Amino acid sequence: MSTDTDTSAAAPNLQTLEAGQELPTMHKFPDEAQLFLYSAASHNPHRIHYDREYARFEGHDDIIVHGPLQGAWLTQFVTDWAGPAARLLGVTWQNRASGLPGEELVFSGTVTSVDSETGIVELEIAEHTSDGRLLMPATARVRLPTA
Amino acid sequence: MSESLIPAETLERVGEVLSGPVTTVIDRREAQRYAYAVGDENPVYFDEVAAQEAGYRTLVAPPTYVTHAVVQPRTASDLRTDGLYREGTRIRLLVDRVMFGGEEWDFLEPVCVGDEITATVRLAAVDQKEGRKGPFVRQVRETTFVNQFGDEVARSRMIGIAR
Repeated sequence: MSTDTDTSAAAPNLQTLEAGQELPTMHKFPDEAQLFLYSAASHNPHRIHYDREYARFEGHDDIIVHGPLQGAWLTQFVTDWAGPAARLLGVTWQNRASGLPGEELVFSGTVTSVDSETGIVELEIAEHTSDGRLLMPATARVRLPTA
Repeated sequence: MSESLIPAETLERVGEVLSGPVTTVIDRREAQRYAYAVGDENPVYFDEVAAQEAGYRTLVAPPTYVTHAVVQPRTASDLRTDGLYREGTRIRLLVDRVMFGGEEWDFLEPVCVGDEITATVRLAAVDQKEGRKGPFVRQVRETTFVNQFGDEVARSRMIGIAR
């Protein structure tokens, strides 16, 4: 359970930010311990996240990463990029497929619009496995500091 | 157009409160336990000074934590075989399977440690659509979260796909 992010990148500058720019990718490496901790911290007793035999009975390849955990990573991906003075205004995601423990999950994104008056930036973001399977297409809206 | 998968009694329930209101206080340890479980160690969740420098009243909670904060304690004898709790309010549809389609969030105000949050879940929409694999039902459960000042702080729409 770890995260790789390029933390050397400075917070985005509203004056130079443009549609089409890409965000630095974030990588997650979920393992069984993280799924267990997330089930506990989110009060989620769903068996497909801890009982391998039951998860396979339901047709999954293994225990699966929680949808809301993947969603929380999408919000982290944006807030890490935007910096502490920014405000996340919204996020949407679609559950296309589930990540599995032991897989490397990759978060990527592109700026789709920038309003330099209000500071509102729209993003198209996504979570894939490292071999390119799309898990969650998503969007986010964030307000960057204007001063 | 295919036959309706949505019984009339279900259509009449659009707008109905499915659960809540439920009120809870945002607890520092619980919010931080959640942030650690996600692997999101943003200083604004852990360091009061960092949170205030970022413009928050005090420590803030991770954006989607609020939906987990309001989960009420339940007895284990309410668990079904899949590990989920039995639902109090069932929405009847003429389908075999309901899947999570996705989620949409609006974050309107920060949710800080110590805030008292009241959550109410409503059936926001039930629509039948035509997909590549035949008809399906898109069902939207909307939760509104209101703080102790009466401000709506967040809104989540959970989208269920049933076919």
